[in-house]
Amino acid sequence: MSTSPTLDSITLEILFNALRSVTDETYIALMRSAYSTNIKERRDHSTAICDVRGGLIVQAENSLPIHLASMIGLMKCLLLKYPLNEIEDGDLFIANDPHVAGGTHLPDVNMAMPVFSEGEIIAFVCNIAHHADIGGMAPGSMAGGMSEIYQEGLRIPVLKLFRKGELQQDLLDLILLNVRLPEERRGDYYAQIASCRLGARRLAEITGTYGNDVVRVAFKDIVVRTERRMRAAIATIPDGEYIFEDVMDDDGLGAIDIPIKLRIEKAGDQIHFDFTGTSPQVLGNINLTDNATQASVCYSLKALVDPDIPNNQGVLDVCKITTEKGTLLDCVAPATVAARANTCQRVADIIIGALADALPDAAVGASNGANVTAVFSGIDPNTGVGYLYLETLGGGFGGRNDRDGTDGVQVHITNTSNLPVEAIEMEYPLLVESYGFVEDSGGAGEFRGGMGLRRVISTVGHTCDFNGAGERFRNQPWGIFGGAPGASGHFQHVAVEGAAVQLEIKPAGIRVGPGEKIVVETPGAGGYGKPSKRDPQHVEEDRRSEKFSAAYLAEYYGGGD
Amino acid sequence: MAWYVGCDVGGTFTDFFAFDDASGRCCVHKTPSTPDNPGAAILQGLRDLCEAQAIAPGSIARLAHGTTVATNALIQRRGTPVALITTEGFRDLLEIGRQIRPKLYDLKADYPQPLAPRHQRFEISERIGAKGQVIKPLDDAAIDAVVAQIVEADVKAVAVCLLFAFVNPEHENRIGVALRKAVPGVDVSLSSDVQPEFREYERFSTTVLNAYLQPLVSRYMTFLQDELSTLAPDAKLGINQSSGGLMSADRACVYPIRTALSGPAAGVVGAGHIGRAAGRPDVVTLDMGGTSADVCLIRNGEASVNFDQSIAEFPIRLPMVDVHTVGAGGGSIAWFDRDGLLKVGPASAGADPGPACYGMGGTEPTVSDANLVLGRLSEDGLLGGSMGLDKVAATNALRPLADQLGYTVERTAHGVLGIVVANMVRAIRVISIERGHDPRRFALMPLGGAGPLHAVDVARALGVGQVIVPAAPGILCAQGLVVSDLKENFVASARTLVADDAVAEMAGRVEGLAKDAAAWFADEGVEPDARRLDLVIDMRYVGQNFELGVAVDQVEGAERALHLPDVARMKKLFFEAHEQSYGFHNPDDPVEVVNFRLTARGRLRKPDEAPAGEVSEGGDPTPVGRRLVYFDADNADDTPLYDRAALRAGDAIAGPAIIGQLDTTTVVHPGDLATVDIQLNLIIEIAP
Repeated sequence: MSTSPTLDSITLEILFNALRSVTDETYIALMRSAYSTNIKERRDHSTAICDVRGGLIVQAENSLPIHLASMIGLMKCLLLKYPLNEIEDGDLFIANDPHVAGGTHLPDVNMAMPVFSEGEIIAFVCNIAHHADIGGMAPGSMAGGMSEIYQEGLRIPVLKLFRKGELQQDLLDLILLNVRLPEERRGDYYAQIASCRLGARRLAEITGTYGNDVVRVAFKDIVVRTERRMRAAIATIPDGEYIFEDVMDDDGLGAIDIPIKLRIEKAGDQIHFDFTGTSPQVLGNINLTDNATQASVCYSLKALVDPDIPNNQGVLDVCKITTEKGTLLDCVAPATVAARANTCQRVADIIIGALADALPDAAVGASNGANVTAVFSGIDPNTGVGYLYLETLGGGFGGRNDRDGTDGVQVHITNTSNLPVEAIEMEYPLLVESYGFVEDSGGAGEFRGGMGLRRVISTVGHTCDFNGAGERFRNQPWGIFGGAPGASGHFQHVAVEGAAVQLEIKPAGIRVGPGEKIVVETPGAGGYGKPSKRDPQHVEEDRRSEKFSAAYLAEYYGGGD
Repeated sequence: MAWYVGCDVGGTFTDFFAFDDASGRCCVHKTPSTPDNPGAAILQGLRDLCEAQAIAPGSIARLAHGTTVATNALIQRRGTPVALITTEGFRDLLEIGRQIRPKLYDLKADYPQPLAPRHQRFEISERIGAKGQVIKPLDDAAIDAVVAQIVEADVKAVAVCLLFAFVNPEHENRIGVALRKAVPGVDVSLSSDVQPEFREYERFSTTVLNAYLQPLVSRYMTFLQDELSTLAPDAKLGINQSSGGLMSADRACVYPIRTALSGPAAGVVGAGHIGRAAGRPDVVTLDMGGTSADVCLIRNGEASVNFDQSIAEFPIRLPMVDVHTVGAGGGSIAWFDRDGLLKVGPASAGADPGPACYGMGGTEPTVSDANLVLGRLSEDGLLGGSMGLDKVAATNALRPLADQLGYTVERTAHGVLGIVVANMVRAIRVISIERGHDPRRFALMPLGGAGPLHAVDVARALGVGQVIVPAAPGILCAQGLVVSDLKENFVASARTLVADDAVAEMAGRVEGLAKDAAAWFADEGVEPDARRLDLVIDMRYVGQNFELGVAVDQVEGAERALHLPDVARMKKLFFEAHEQSYGFHNPDDPVEVVNFRLTARGRLRKPDEAPAGEVSEGGDPTPVGRRLVYFDADNADDTPLYDRAALRAGDAIAGPAIIGQLDTTTVVHPGDLATVDIQLNLIIEIAP
């Protein structure tokens, strides 16, 4: 872009500040008024402001990178379907479909509302929330084992849920009829609607103060300045070609060790990510739409070169990305996509791996590389009412150049909270038997990788259904610069008598009888640097903390007396 | 004759505000703080105060104290290593926390390690279920074994944190009894005692922090109480809590975590008192010092309280005044970010070297430098102060920014102030608009050395119509302590559907809390007519996971018993709260209770709310000087300067004006009108 900024940097900073307030306020409002634990406790939602061309201008500080992709995608499809002159004040759009409406998987329901000022559209306020269910074959709409998106849940193209402020009740009825626990879902939809309206009101206050022209210029300037800043950061990466590849464990439907290939070309302030040679799309649900790939690339690059850069269209526009249609990273209908976060995590690992030699101080060992999901559903024997409990578990974070990787934490593109044990047991007929780190799971190194998590859950007084999705369950997270790999994860089903059965990596429809257990173990992470360089005091702490066995310490650090 | 003394320990000075309930006389005193043992300055200051004001130490009835001992220990990590005893299978829960990273894109950012390291976290075989039922019994042998581990670990503090102890504390109690018997010198904190509420990580974290602070705070309180009993034998020591309100020193030893925000809470109570007396019970405070600004919302004279805050990056689930901090102070540094946007703070030049204009070696441009360049601060420094300010140094510090922007230094300085104001506005939006309160209905009360310099700009940006500058912002905390009530919070965590068949159960919970409160009143010797009870019920829609606190009853004195409203009324109050906070409610959806909270207050003696100033006859004070002051970016106005100390009640000053006093400078913009009220507050009406 050649345009120069046209607002002075003081006015722009003040206006930018006011816009950030709007997205943060709508983020909090959505979180606090939503019904489901998924939004409330896990904060699996985002809010943003887009300009009239669909460019992302500001997003809430805690917005998730993957949601950024969906918002951009929605706006693109929305504007293709509805020219600006067909959008009226009080309209509110809803969509979720990855293939025709810019989404990344069906449970993420997008909303967007035009903001009118002085009789014209000045912007759109958008939000997105991960709903605990969007229909389809399996409770939670996240399960594997399906080969077409129709099985994954209700597909919503870009629709006007409100026309001129009028709720299209027929549409809402249709949506609610197709999802489990419609009453709870309805509360979440209302929370999203209220958040949109709040954002529109706040943004109108800002245009009232500054006028449309100034706000429009500010939108443009924000993007231009961010793009320049991003280019300056890219310029610090040594020029050259960087190649890396890794594999996904499986798709749950027979394909295993699915390759992702990357070649990065970096010259001056230009960077090109070429994923040519990556596997064709697979039947199972780990496919990415192209915008999900874009979100993963932008996350990784920003984290490596300038974590504090504002997140907007300027960041997105800088990265040139090549993918082939019909591949794992650029899938087409009717590809399944529910567990796409696992693949996003792998893309992040691959980019960091590729640039490790170029940016050794910023790079980290491979992290748990997964978005391990566990879904329990059934009928609560106490109330006779259906329930659905979905959780994604963190694991190890990769070893870093000056410190160990964090233990038991969400990594890279996701940062959702866990659900408190006491909330689980008050809410669902389940018992959490233990929750802790997996021994020896953090890969050894000068700075070791983080530990994976183990959660053991048993059913109380009924039989429930368990669905799960794991990754890095057969391919361990690698270390860098000589660091050892972290442990891989697994799911187990333990009978009452105690016999444990190893489950598939992406198990579906497992019946768990009363008192039986599901064991979830998530991967650890790879270490950074050779174990032989580890400070003896840190080895001693590994021993004293009992995070590592004597045998493991002896194997990697010698001694072990 | 009895004296009531408030004492606030700050970083530089320990402030006293004393009030005699017989004569109504008030006096103030300041003494340099002694950070190594804050108690030394308190005792010395008290002696000096008594001598200077001819107060017989024996006539002091109460010393109310705001302390930073706990806060500083947390920030500087100077507490005691803690051992944790927890349910088998959950040793790592404290370390996992919420499994999130503090910054999404920063690969290096981590939360701090827990204060109970893993090798000092011990599991015990037992389990309580969600309804309080015992799933796995606790054996005496298991208790003996864990006690032996604690003895072996040789620690000074133990936190006992078991799952669902907030429903059924029996297992925690048994472990507590055994520990106190076996290792009598070790402080023991039980999660069911420190904060009996659901969500285990936040409860465990709060309990571990309590244990971490216990030895240190106990030592401090014991020292203070012992010395005080010699110096002023009749003085009862009251310690300010983070939620505002005093507790006994004995309770502070048991619950030191409740003092984590003791100091700021005192200031907020003082601000509420002044607002009430000025006829503005709804105020937003803006306390701006050298490195940061604290903002707090006060409704009906009482500070908003929040249950989910962090101190030194550790979550604390306890009622604390909802003070929101932003890195915006007089020392905040202006800088260009990588995208060329001008930013101010959070980095600060602090007190050393301080802003460039202090002439102590600072070269970076700060907010104070901008104020000086614009003439809002005087080159002579604060009125009556000994330290001049160096305008040349300030100009030199700002010039590189100006050159890069292509602006004059004054226009640049004006921009720096615009940005720091925007940062404070954003902080105020968080505690007002984001919590469902319209700031335009509030008055703004600036405090601290830098608050009154920026208050009018902040008020205008928020649409606030009135600014109240207290007569002596510097001793507001000490003043707040003198007017504080005794206070205790009781909570019963019990998830209950709001329905007619649960009324008896809910009424039983409330009755139980009322009994606890009655016992506390009796213990503290609070007379029946000085008692007040506030019942708040945390409610949510069934399926929601976040509660709204809804005030349902208030009883003053002994007029009647506490009363739980009927189901229809409870729901109606919840719907109103939901509507206010989130803009919608669903009247048909089922509602449930999560917690019952009862706050008990014992009113102490306090000064009358209208100590009169002299009413001025003419009301048109004489300036003590004039200087050029920039109110907009390019033009300076010839502006009169006033001495705050010479102003009398009834005086009126039309802006532009600069009003100086010992501890702060107030800027009145052109078109605004400042008047002096009967309590000598400056009331600035902001022109629309």
